[in-house]
Amino acid sequence: MNRIIAAALLAAGLAGPALAATEADVVSTFQPYKSGFPTFPGLTPGVVINKDNVDKFKDALDAGMYMVVKSGWYEIKVGETIDFPNPKGYVEATKRNLNKTKLGAKVGEIEGFAGGRPFPEEPSMSDPRAGEKLAWNFKYGTNWGDNAAIHPFYWKYRNMQTGQLERTLKFNFFFLNMKHRTDHEPMPEVTPNAANLYRGIYAQVLEPQDLKNTQLLIQKYDDDTKFDDAYLYLGFQRRVRRLAAGQVTDAFLGSDLMIEDFEGYESRVSDMKWTYKGTKNILMPYYKHNEQKLSDEFKEDDGYKYVSFTGQGECFPDIKWQLRKVYVVESEPVNSNHPVGKRVMHFDAQVFGASRTLVYDRKGELWKTWTIGKAHPDFHLPVNKGTGVALDDSFSMVDVQAKHCTTGQFKGKVDPSLSPANLFQVQYMRGGN
Amino acid sequence: MDIQKKRRHLLARTGLGGAMCALVSLSAMADDKLPDIGGESYKWAVDVYYENDTRFRGKDNTGNSVGLSKFRNTLQVEADRPLGDGWEFHGVLRGSFDGVYRMNDDEYGKHAGGAITLDSTTPGGTISSPHGSGPVNKAVVDGLGQPNNVFGFNSTNPSLPGYNPNSGLQVLGQRWHDVEGGVAFGVPVQPCDYDKRGCTDFGGYGDKKRSELESPEFNSRLDFIREAYVKKTFTLDDQRSIFLKVGKQQVVWGRTDLFRVLDVINPVDFSRNNIYDELQDIRIPMWMVQAEYRMGGSETMQERNLQIVWNFDQFRPNNLGQCGTANVILDAGCFFRGMKNLWDNGGTVSSFANVGPDTWLATDFGPGQIGLDQVHLPGWKLKNTQLGVKYEGVTQDGLSFSLNALTYRSQLPSLRGAKRSTNGFNGEYRDYWPYLISFDMYFPRVNLIGGSMDFEWEAAQAAVRVEAAFTDGEEFANTSKPQLYSKNNVFRAVVGIDRPTFIPFINARRTTLISGQLFYQHIFDHDYERGPLGPVGMPDWEDNVIGTLLVKAFLKNDRLSPQIIVAHDFRAQSTVMAPSVDWLLSDNLKFTIGANLKVSSGNDRWKFDDCRGCNPWPPFTAGPNYPGDTAQAFSRGLGGLEPLGRFRAGPIGAAWAEDEIFATLRYKF
Repeated sequence: MNRIIAAALLAAGLAGPALAATEADVVSTFQPYKSGFPTFPGLTPGVVINKDNVDKFKDALDAGMYMVVKSGWYEIKVGETIDFPNPKGYVEATKRNLNKTKLGAKVGEIEGFAGGRPFPEEPSMSDPRAGEKLAWNFKYGTNWGDNAAIHPFYWKYRNMQTGQLERTLKFNFFFLNMKHRTDHEPMPEVTPNAANLYRGIYAQVLEPQDLKNTQLLIQKYDDDTKFDDAYLYLGFQRRVRRLAAGQVTDAFLGSDLMIEDFEGYESRVSDMKWTYKGTKNILMPYYKHNEQKLSDEFKEDDGYKYVSFTGQGECFPDIKWQLRKVYVVESEPVNSNHPVGKRVMHFDAQVFGASRTLVYDRKGELWKTWTIGKAHPDFHLPVNKGTGVALDDSFSMVDVQAKHCTTGQFKGKVDPSLSPANLFQVQYMRGGN
Repeated sequence: MDIQKKRRHLLARTGLGGAMCALVSLSAMADDKLPDIGGESYKWAVDVYYENDTRFRGKDNTGNSVGLSKFRNTLQVEADRPLGDGWEFHGVLRGSFDGVYRMNDDEYGKHAGGAITLDSTTPGGTISSPHGSGPVNKAVVDGLGQPNNVFGFNSTNPSLPGYNPNSGLQVLGQRWHDVEGGVAFGVPVQPCDYDKRGCTDFGGYGDKKRSELESPEFNSRLDFIREAYVKKTFTLDDQRSIFLKVGKQQVVWGRTDLFRVLDVINPVDFSRNNIYDELQDIRIPMWMVQAEYRMGGSETMQERNLQIVWNFDQFRPNNLGQCGTANVILDAGCFFRGMKNLWDNGGTVSSFANVGPDTWLATDFGPGQIGLDQVHLPGWKLKNTQLGVKYEGVTQDGLSFSLNALTYRSQLPSLRGAKRSTNGFNGEYRDYWPYLISFDMYFPRVNLIGGSMDFEWEAAQAAVRVEAAFTDGEEFANTSKPQLYSKNNVFRAVVGIDRPTFIPFINARRTTLISGQLFYQHIFDHDYERGPLGPVGMPDWEDNVIGTLLVKAFLKNDRLSPQIIVAHDFRAQSTVMAPSVDWLLSDNLKFTIGANLKVSSGNDRWKFDDCRGCNPWPPFTAGPNYPGDTAQAFSRGLGGLEPLGRFRAGPIGAAWAEDEIFATLRYKF
């Protein structure tokens, strides 16, 4: 019966917010810890969770991290929970555009969105499209703000069983929001923008030799029902190749990530069926970069040091985790040929980072556990201070079936000058070496 | 002919050694491997590579086991440096030494070739005569009452001019076909410092000494500098900019793998590995200016770019490979060298003179009668430079496309016949002999217009690439024309589809790339007609299709990658299969093994008019088998595999007896 009602609502295009969001919702969405940080029995800063005591903290972990710790692959160091900011303009846009956004008739359709967090209200289990709204909050989230760069970005491929370091890739990544910009000029849109693009991601490989000069450009349309355009410039071919749609769900350059995994989830809202599964307080990889154990493996002129890795095969970030409020959402691919059966995503309620994701295969077995460590911008490079952008700072994608991992070490910079619009043009790639 | 040829063996060695020292020095300077793109540090970023490429071949058409066909050791340096004010420098130095010319010197070195015989065809069967002892010669023609005849050549006396002995020779085309009653002649195959017969510069090849073949980069064109350019983006506003790249570089047009429809700005060095190397490694960089006005978006287009390319370098054609080396595409280098030797020194041509019914005797031509005389390589003049314009855009819906126009010099040679010659029968000299196989080599100007596009085919989860070009000015062999060539417009097009596909038995978690292409070529105003003795006109197919299929798998996080490339020439009925496996042992060490195998279904379809029945010196050459007016020169269509069969066999068919296995190791220091 509920299904029938939901279908009727969908057909009538009435599945917008059941109740109008309020100013209080806006305060709550950006300051979820205003009335206090979450607690869990026995879980205090300084506690180390390992395979011997993990059962005590099972409910403070997602199923993937529980399995990782229980298997003895990793020990979680607990830090204090802190507020993470959001960019000021983004918060203001959320207030300004409150209740203007409505879901369309189909998944992937949205109306009236003009910037900020589109659905700031608390999700409801009774709302059949709550998961979809959270997906929109993620898509139009503040991940890297209006523009930023990871400059550079180290990826390592490791055999988790032996610890063998198989490959080290060095990238530069650049991000630019073409639309819905809230904090950096031009606002709200980079013009002209004839194709109505929402976002661009441009990456270049600097090392190793066989991948050097490879470049990737992803252009995401604001119309979520349109497929992204993706282009790859292969250094050894010196040509730009258009990527077929299937390649976004393929292992990217042999890593354990697919392009779709970038930033937590990089494909369209319309590619998935989204189901809100509830709200929890769990340990999330959020920390102050400058207070972590850092690696001096890669030398930077400015003295910047990267997060180091530890645990089984050095597949896990050596960071502190904090108890945070998350929204649990399942996303199930619409395409039956998709290699993923479903993802269980944990969106941070404050900054909407998809920092913990469990990826299941088509048989329903856990395939990969995906961690994106977020650093507070005020405890990082000076350029990031005050930007309000929670920085992607470390990642770990562990293929628990193949016992293989890919790790990432970031030097993120919220610096608009590094991401000019012409960097996100196809022709720019052809100017490479 | 503009290229200086003053190098010495020692120079090549010194050059390689010097370059190696330079590499070490540069490497030592590279205390920081990469420039900080966003910063102001102007440091060298230098990568140094070593590669060994070792190849073995089995039996060729003669049944001879070839053995080692390549033992090439390459040192390559790639250097980058910001220069300040937004300018950046990029350079690539490459030097190589191929040991095959010493390690397998009876195939490719100073002991290559030997004494040969040339056939005469008679009703009683085939008769073989040594080079220099053809049944039709000066004395025989004297005996026919032609005392002024100039047949015959010097194959015995080294102290006299035009010495053309029966040594160091192979029969033209012997590596890929039998003579089968057609024409053939001896081709010198040793490096030019050991045998200078037929040696001349055909455009970067044809006159090379052993040291120059061993280390081809160290020449007067400074090919060891593979790339050296500066570039800068002049930002006009957030989306608009002007991009400038000046120096020795590769400019790549088009969207096609393997085929060169629009990608024709740089000539190509086929002598490295025929058609089978990555184009990046075999494009011959040229000194060029590339300027782009990147206009950004508009109200209707997501991207607009206008590019102008001015190739101001001195012209160079494709390197087709010197005769006597392992990679001689279409066996053309051997045809040229043999023909040049025929012109310079004379030679015995098999089954040539139709002296009686069904009787064609090997004939000893003298110098200056038939063959290849002059090579007209365009010198540096402003009017010989090459200019291209491209408009490239992306539409609102994400369709990427380009419109291209280029005026350039043909990178393939054209042989224009009927040139100056002395009539062998009576010694009469003329500047023009219709239908006579006396040639000069030219590189005509060609104008090209074309375009390309790619788009995503969502239903098939595939990316589609399309490329097409129309050219004006290309020249083709044409035996129906008095000068034995014609200018024809040509249309070429390629459609390619790339589809990453999950093939569970290969890798259930990683797609296998399946990429197919169909190449189509149409020659306008194509000449082809049945003559009394066989086809006459153009050997190139009026319409032809070549299909390619790449299946590339990725295993062990892309560190192990087996692939197979299959190409089939539909008209030549020849196929190549190239399986290989890349193995990345580390980020710095890559090992590749593979093979290159060809199959072909006979060669009758490749045979074509060889102009023996053209009667260029009437009435002397009006043989009893040749119908029609004995006073008229025209082709009757008598043919064989040489010389025009190569155009019908194509690069796959003409190399069908060059099956090869290889192992390549590449290390980054």
